[in-house]
Amino acid sequence: MFTLQRRRRLTAWAMCAPAVMLATGFIFYPLARGAWISLHQWDGFSAAMKWFGLRNYANVAADGIFWRALGNTLIFAIAVTVAKNVLGMFLATLLNRRLVGRGLFRTATFLPVVMSFVVVGILWSWIFNPTFGLLDSGLRMLGLDAWVQGWLSDPRIALGSVIAVDVWKWTGFHVVVLLAGLQTIPAELLEAAAIDGASKPQIFRKITLPQMMPVLSFSVLMSLTGAFVSNYDLVYVMTGGGPRHATEVALTWIMNAAFQNHAVGKANAMSIILFVCVAAAGALQLRVMMARSGGR
Amino acid sequence: MRQRGLRGGIGRVGAYGVMAVCVVTTLFPLIWMVSGALKSGQEFYSNIWGLPQDLTWANFARAWAEGGLGQKFANSIIVTAGTMAIVLPVTSLAGYALASIEFPGRRAVYVYLLLGIMVPFGVIAIPVFTVVVQLGLLNTLPGLILVYSAQSLPLGVFLMRSFFASIPRELEEAGLVDGCTLLGAFFRVVLPLAKPGLVTQLIFTGTTVWNEYFMASILLHREALQTLPLGLVTFTSKNGIEFPELFAASAIVTAPLVILYLIAQRQFIAGLSAGAVKG
Repeated sequence: MFTLQRRRRLTAWAMCAPAVMLATGFIFYPLARGAWISLHQWDGFSAAMKWFGLRNYANVAADGIFWRALGNTLIFAIAVTVAKNVLGMFLATLLNRRLVGRGLFRTATFLPVVMSFVVVGILWSWIFNPTFGLLDSGLRMLGLDAWVQGWLSDPRIALGSVIAVDVWKWTGFHVVVLLAGLQTIPAELLEAAAIDGASKPQIFRKITLPQMMPVLSFSVLMSLTGAFVSNYDLVYVMTGGGPRHATEVALTWIMNAAFQNHAVGKANAMSIILFVCVAAAGALQLRVMMARSGGR
Repeated sequence: MRQRGLRGGIGRVGAYGVMAVCVVTTLFPLIWMVSGALKSGQEFYSNIWGLPQDLTWANFARAWAEGGLGQKFANSIIVTAGTMAIVLPVTSLAGYALASIEFPGRRAVYVYLLLGIMVPFGVIAIPVFTVVVQLGLLNTLPGLILVYSAQSLPLGVFLMRSFFASIPRELEEAGLVDGCTLLGAFFRVVLPLAKPGLVTQLIFTGTTVWNEYFMASILLHREALQTLPLGLVTFTSKNGIEFPELFAASAIVTAPLVILYLIAQRQFIAGLSAGAVKG
């Protein structure tokens, strides 16, 4: 009996070993290594790194563009999270009834999710192009010349344009997720409330929202954690961080430091600061996931 | 009663209106991508909103040849298939052990693997680059495959563990009683039942990897090794490339996944939203 137990135990460890090795080698070791490099001055190729203490962090703190990039990242993350979930919840509630063509709606709005950010970026760069883009030429055709904008070249609105594209790509996804959540609410619950004379807003507040909390919180957390770090492709393809750093996000600035300026120590210091910002949202997401899986 | 019916009717009309607006907003840019890909260089700039007058199919041939898209398709297929070949077995094994075997350190291993979700690749991209260089895997497809595998690991383990946990214990025990070893029971009894979990991962990880640009741009610096998203970005900066060819290339890159999605829509929607509804 003892040996059988021991064999089970060894088998279990052997089954987990590849996953643990992969996670250690390509997630946790690099994280630790990044923290270590951030304390050094290093160009990325030379064999010797020079001990630099916390001076990289001091340099980052004094780098106005980094703070601007971090601020833009935060604006981006909050704006897309709010927009995707508010819009998603609104559309899901509206569509949570028998409607002809709901299948078509799902197919269509979910489509951008399978598209690459690079293609999406190229497509929307053209739509926003001031001379031959779809948007401005359309506005001119309609005689709305006053609305014509340099959507990506005007520093005041460029970030908003990029945010709109990200929302375009993901809202369909959130509608589908939230709609699935709405459909798990028992119909009897809603009917009972309606019979008791509850108004629609009351039903929404007192029943729908609490019942939706697990799905909604997951939807919110997913868009939030994703938004901090998945904006690189879109910004890189559409604006490259410009004009005049108006759409610079943390990741584009980090890549610039590492691969253009060869300030790898500083780039790692910025990465660690970004990690601290993301980790809070990530920890929250992890707790929700563990709780929902009954985290044994 | 009548009033309620009327209000329901208005709600219905509103719902259809909003639905139509959403469908148009989503599909519009895509239709214009294909339409633009078929215009001649001149027409692209003069006839912006109209449909193409003569269909310039040559744009597709030029994009394919100039962009070296054949090679890049092959690279993307190798990278996606290679990542799957690692991720599916690794997450199944770990997920099964974590769901159904009692062993010391089980919770610690589970939490350790899940903590990876808190470390998105954006924040470790530069040290990962350093590690890949140290391993001599810079500018190799296996290097990128290993990085993608690690990236997909935490969510994969999470998904597989919850699938295995939902399989009745009696089934495995029946397998064990019939004389299978633990691994035998795993392969013969449990794994076939977890097929939906594998399909979910196949779609989720497959789509992510196929479209990934950021890590690939850091780890691959030779054009012959580029995956499709990388190739597309290189294509935009090539001399003499006009928008119609760029749109043709974009359409070629987008087509395989969109076709797969239209064929297996149900599985795609379930797979891509699995993280949010399941668990």
